[in-house]
Amino acid sequence: MSAASAKARPRAAAIDLSWPILLFVAAALCVLIVLPVSWLVYYSFTDHAGAFTFGNFLRLATDATFIDPLVTTVIIATSVGAICCLVAAPMGWLVARSDMPLKRTVRVLVMASFVTPPFLGAIAWELLAAPNSGLLNQLYSSLTGAAPGVHLFDIYSLTGLIFVIACYTFPYVFVLVANALDRIPGDLEDASSILGGNAWTTARRVTIPLVLPALLAGALVAFLQAMTLFGSPAILAIPAGFHTMTTKIWSLFQYPPKPELAAAASLPLLVLTVLLLRAEAMILGRRGYSVVGGRNSDPRLVRLGVLRWPALILCFMLLLNPVFLPYGALFNAAFSRVPSQLLSLQNFTLHNVDFVLFELSATKLALKNTFLLGVLAATIGTAFALVIAYMTARKAIPGHRALGFLATAPVAIPGIVLGVGLFLSYTRPPFVLYGTLWILLIAFITISLPSAYQQLQAALRGVHPELEDASRILGATRLQTLGRITAPLLRTGVIATWCFIFVSVIRELSAAIMLFTSETKVISVLIFDLNESGDLAAISVLGLMMLAITFTIVIAANRIPGFGGDVRLRNA
Amino acid sequence: MASVELRGLTKRYGASAVVDDISLKIEHGMLVCLLGPSGCGKTTTLRLIAGFVEPSAGEILVGDRLMSSPQRTVPPERRNMSMIFQSYALWPHMTVAENVAYGLRLRRIESGAIKERVANFLAAVRLGDLANRYPGELSGGQQQRVSLARALIVEPETLLLDEPLSNLDANLREEMRFEVRRLHDQYRYTTVYVTHDQSEAMTTADLIAVMNAGKIEQLGSPEEIYDKPRSEFVARFIGASNILHGKNVDEAHIAFDGAKLRCSGAKLSSGGMTSLSVRPHDIRLSAAPISGAENVVSGKVIRQVFLGGHRDYVVETAGGTPLRVVAPAEQNIAPETAVWLHLPPECCHVLVG
Repeated sequence: MSAASAKARPRAAAIDLSWPILLFVAAALCVLIVLPVSWLVYYSFTDHAGAFTFGNFLRLATDATFIDPLVTTVIIATSVGAICCLVAAPMGWLVARSDMPLKRTVRVLVMASFVTPPFLGAIAWELLAAPNSGLLNQLYSSLTGAAPGVHLFDIYSLTGLIFVIACYTFPYVFVLVANALDRIPGDLEDASSILGGNAWTTARRVTIPLVLPALLAGALVAFLQAMTLFGSPAILAIPAGFHTMTTKIWSLFQYPPKPELAAAASLPLLVLTVLLLRAEAMILGRRGYSVVGGRNSDPRLVRLGVLRWPALILCFMLLLNPVFLPYGALFNAAFSRVPSQLLSLQNFTLHNVDFVLFELSATKLALKNTFLLGVLAATIGTAFALVIAYMTARKAIPGHRALGFLATAPVAIPGIVLGVGLFLSYTRPPFVLYGTLWILLIAFITISLPSAYQQLQAALRGVHPELEDASRILGATRLQTLGRITAPLLRTGVIATWCFIFVSVIRELSAAIMLFTSETKVISVLIFDLNESGDLAAISVLGLMMLAITFTIVIAANRIPGFGGDVRLRNA
Repeated sequence: MASVELRGLTKRYGASAVVDDISLKIEHGMLVCLLGPSGCGKTTTLRLIAGFVEPSAGEILVGDRLMSSPQRTVPPERRNMSMIFQSYALWPHMTVAENVAYGLRLRRIESGAIKERVANFLAAVRLGDLANRYPGELSGGQQQRVSLARALIVEPETLLLDEPLSNLDANLREEMRFEVRRLHDQYRYTTVYVTHDQSEAMTTADLIAVMNAGKIEQLGSPEEIYDKPRSEFVARFIGASNILHGKNVDEAHIAFDGAKLRCSGAKLSSGGMTSLSVRPHDIRLSAAPISGAENVVSGKVIRQVFLGGHRDYVVETAGGTPLRVVAPAEQNIAPETAVWLHLPPECCHVLVG
């Protein structure tokens, strides 16, 4: 082996790009996050003329039209949190720790309710349980012969709203609980048994304390989701004649717009979200959640015996509500001449499909906008998140902590609040972006940044730093290493993140509803509009298309976002 | 031809110094082991030499090139070094051949030549028929050899090894120790080898630097380190050792358990306390009083175990100090029996640390 040729030194590195990149990323993060929040705070403390005032907050605190929505929101969020725990904890346990049959199917179905946009679920439940036309109510009166006007369910009510929100929020708790149970090694329970603990003692002293933090955190997340949700309350509460905080904020932008009040009403939502997230982090960060030590043995499964099938039936009964019934109702409405009639050979029609695809001029535009925004947001967002995740995971530059903090900060900004902030920021010079797709792009990137960042950081943590060091010491610069070693190793993580952002863009409503104009409608906004005009058949067609796209991408990504990772889909 | 020199090298994280004012000169072609317990700063020292970490103070020179100083650090890719990592760090998305060829590709060597050299090198580490496998399909020992080939094929001036054998099972580890030494002798690069395993250090190194708490406790050949440990830490870390404490009597004797022990090594100051190190197999055990000899201490057997080739005794001296003694297998003395120990003066080393 001759010495001559290899002695050539690797080529000198090009210019060190880390500082320009850092500055660019930091500036971009500031524009994305600090700018809208600053305008929000500024507006909330000024009056029409732009003078400093506490008047906005004073009005919020004294005016019943603001206090009522606040009380309603707290009632909804608390009930949803409680219901979700009651449903998700036993279901999570059955799936993770029992020998119930068809466990994978149950997981997949919960995942299906997870990725169903909540506003779509709300509309489906309109089809099912509107006081007179609802399919379930019709079924009830035909079975009992009840007089017209007497109905079993009224979805346009506080309980109806709580029910629908809970349907699409319980997966958050389910994921946390099932993951926690999956991670408890069977050894821990075996150790209790060998010391003389019977099944019940073991559950009470070992298993339950270990999952309790996850359950508590899940309750907080459910509370948070219910509190910041816009779509379902807008669809169900407004016809019922009451408001939640989010719909109230939205209504303040209807004519005549009162941006100062909207800004002031957004701040409590923002503060509450920050506090709840801190509480969640505290609960999860302490003992118990991450089980330490040794090789993990498989979780021990509890034999249910004769209860195996009843348990499965219970799960399916519960899953009727978020999945089977709503999907059925959407399917029914899409192909039926009258949405409120059951599909039969007589009233089967493709007219709705034809109408949505070819007659409704808004569809094409909305589809185009949604795809354009989805692809752009996913591409830019993934690239951006990758750069930040690399810099923080590898501590590549000073100030990486601040970058990580900024990248995760949007998680604390509810979509509707971000919408208000962006509206206030970009309707005035120097950046007039309102009315363009850019403002929606900014919103979507900001919203998906935290999860994308966390997902990629987790992926990067799976790439041993020595793999990069080995490349450096053999003569590759940092950028060469990033291109030849790190990027190929992260490929699956990057693809998963891309798909995840794309899917969350498709289902996003709460920020889009604040920012769209007639030329920049997206599918979710179009569905919301059609709901106001009562065109449920068209919605069903659009909704099924939306679900089809979502499921295709989720399955194609071959990784279910949120199941297994720390990823969190936002409610729309 | 490059020596590696560390001058007052220091690395602080916050207030704590992980590497604390280390100076060390490694001549070209030497194999130096940094040996110490985990957390002693040996890996940080290695990463400082590689350029992955910037020093807080001091400098690193390779030959007469200044590589690292607090002001300026040459990046790892321009140091003409190679490194073998504890995890092997083989890239899972590249085949064995691609892994090994990586460094040559970066040096823009023409591809025919790369192919030939990779084939030669893989043959040299007995991996010729595995060239197209992926690292995940190899055993630990094979992975280790791939990482050796990948590091050596670029013909570095300096080779750094970070606990390279700690993930191998005992048999392979022994084999690879000699392999590392053989390759070093064949190519004669300057090698810095980090390990916490003293026998690994003994078998491979020209010089051993025993590190503790960010400092080099002792630098010397394996024989020096073993026979003449300078501090209690080194004596305990390298092989088993008995540590005896006593008051200084004169410049060559200490008082221990009523006996006067003559010791070797440094001269003692008057009036102070001194610690001695005595290896268990240097102590002679006797069931009968030893008369007329110096350095004799009495005690009784606490326990003993038969280990095939020898017996391992714990003897408690009259003053209550337990001493380990290695005695011939046929010398079988029951516990609780009174015994006498002879500690040869040339084996009683004064510890200064």
